[in-house]
Amino acid sequence: MTQTAPPDAAPPGATRRALLCPGCGGQCMFDPAERGLTCQSCGRVQDLAHEDDDDAHIEYGYDPTQPEEEPATRPAELEHHCATCDGRVIFTGPQLSENCPYCAGAVVLSQPVNGYDTMALIPFSTQEKTAQINAQAWAKSRLAAPGDLSKSVAPARVAGLYAPFWTFDSKEAVSYWAKYTTGSGDNKRTHSVSGAMNIHFDDLLVPASPHVTPLIRDGILHEFNPDKLRRYRAGYLAGFAAERHHMTISEGLRSNRKDKDLLIRNRIKGDINRSRVHSIRYRTDTSGIHYRRILLPVWLMHYTYRDKPYKIVVSGINGRTYGERPFSSWKLAGYSALLSAAVIGFGLVWGAAGWR
Amino acid sequence: MFDVISFGPFLSAAALFLLSTGVGILPVRKIIQVREAKHELKQGSAGFLRSIGGWSIIFIWFGAIWFLATIIGDWGATGDLAGAWARGEIRLRILLEILAALAESD
Repeated sequence: MTQTAPPDAAPPGATRRALLCPGCGGQCMFDPAERGLTCQSCGRVQDLAHEDDDDAHIEYGYDPTQPEEEPATRPAELEHHCATCDGRVIFTGPQLSENCPYCAGAVVLSQPVNGYDTMALIPFSTQEKTAQINAQAWAKSRLAAPGDLSKSVAPARVAGLYAPFWTFDSKEAVSYWAKYTTGSGDNKRTHSVSGAMNIHFDDLLVPASPHVTPLIRDGILHEFNPDKLRRYRAGYLAGFAAERHHMTISEGLRSNRKDKDLLIRNRIKGDINRSRVHSIRYRTDTSGIHYRRILLPVWLMHYTYRDKPYKIVVSGINGRTYGERPFSSWKLAGYSALLSAAVIGFGLVWGAAGWR
Repeated sequence: MFDVISFGPFLSAAALFLLSTGVGILPVRKIIQVREAKHELKQGSAGFLRSIGGWSIIFIWFGAIWFLATIIGDWGATGDLAGAWARGEIRLRILLEILAALAESD
């Protein structure tokens, strides 16, 4: 279901009053286990589901030839700025941490900058304890990792963050020209090929923050189900950090250009359906662009190994885990020695036997 | 006295092993990255395609050490190094064709 213009009114910002328990007046936090806003004093759970949640998966049309009409707004919440990575996060309700969830650097209160209101979000389903276990297990299961890596990861703790993402739909009418090679030696031939194809990108997830890399996205977000989206409500953010959207739609599309180029080239290779394809050129006419500004839940764990920072990211939707890791040069050399011995042994036998 | 000629193939094989172990650190790292990409990254995604790109370095490494080992094996069996190189020429040509095709598919 699509609609051509974003809603006029921005979703309401978080208010402290909305995060207080209607029973005892205590502070409430969103609890992934209860899937609701839970009072930290009396344990009362408020369901955040709303009748307009069914509209949360609505996409908005974008015409690149028309000026963008989306108004930039300032957040109602206080914004925290990280001097280390330049990240900007908001804490809904009480300040959760003095450290940046993106890089673990110190954050300070700063003047909020203009951003764009979130249209929808997927609330956290994975609990902190599960995320902690998954992140530790991921680090432990790395091949050729340094032996003392577990010691570096053990004290690290996960921090929950709603990271800004786009979903983009588009229709691409692609015309391409490429070459492929057949045969070998004197029979080696290079052939030219051209063709046309239509590609429909549906809900292409694009990080709207420089702090979330496409590699991390592809590690933790294997499937995206728009039915899980909920209308933005401050209550979902209570207990977590969040980053607002700061990119215009055209900036978002621009940031996805390299990934889209790679995907189109891969589809062209598939369309040609031959090996040894190279020198691909193409032209595409893009139409039917639709987008959503959404927040997706992630657990971030930072650790340092030999003074170099790394991070492990756990999906707040299903617990899928991916991250950055160091390698042990000695273990790599050990594996290399084993493989070298096997290949050299095979080669020695081949040569000694006089095989061609 | 230590006979360099008769120990030549052994010394060469040992030198090749050490060289291959050192050079192989990068291809082994690539093997692990490709393995992790296949198991952990979304298939067909941009991150997946980037991570598996450059896999031909693994086969170039395997091919190069295999070819040199066949020369040493031939040399060890016949005692004729020049002849071993000459006999290895066809093998080298075929190997280069295969590696070129693999590199084009990378």
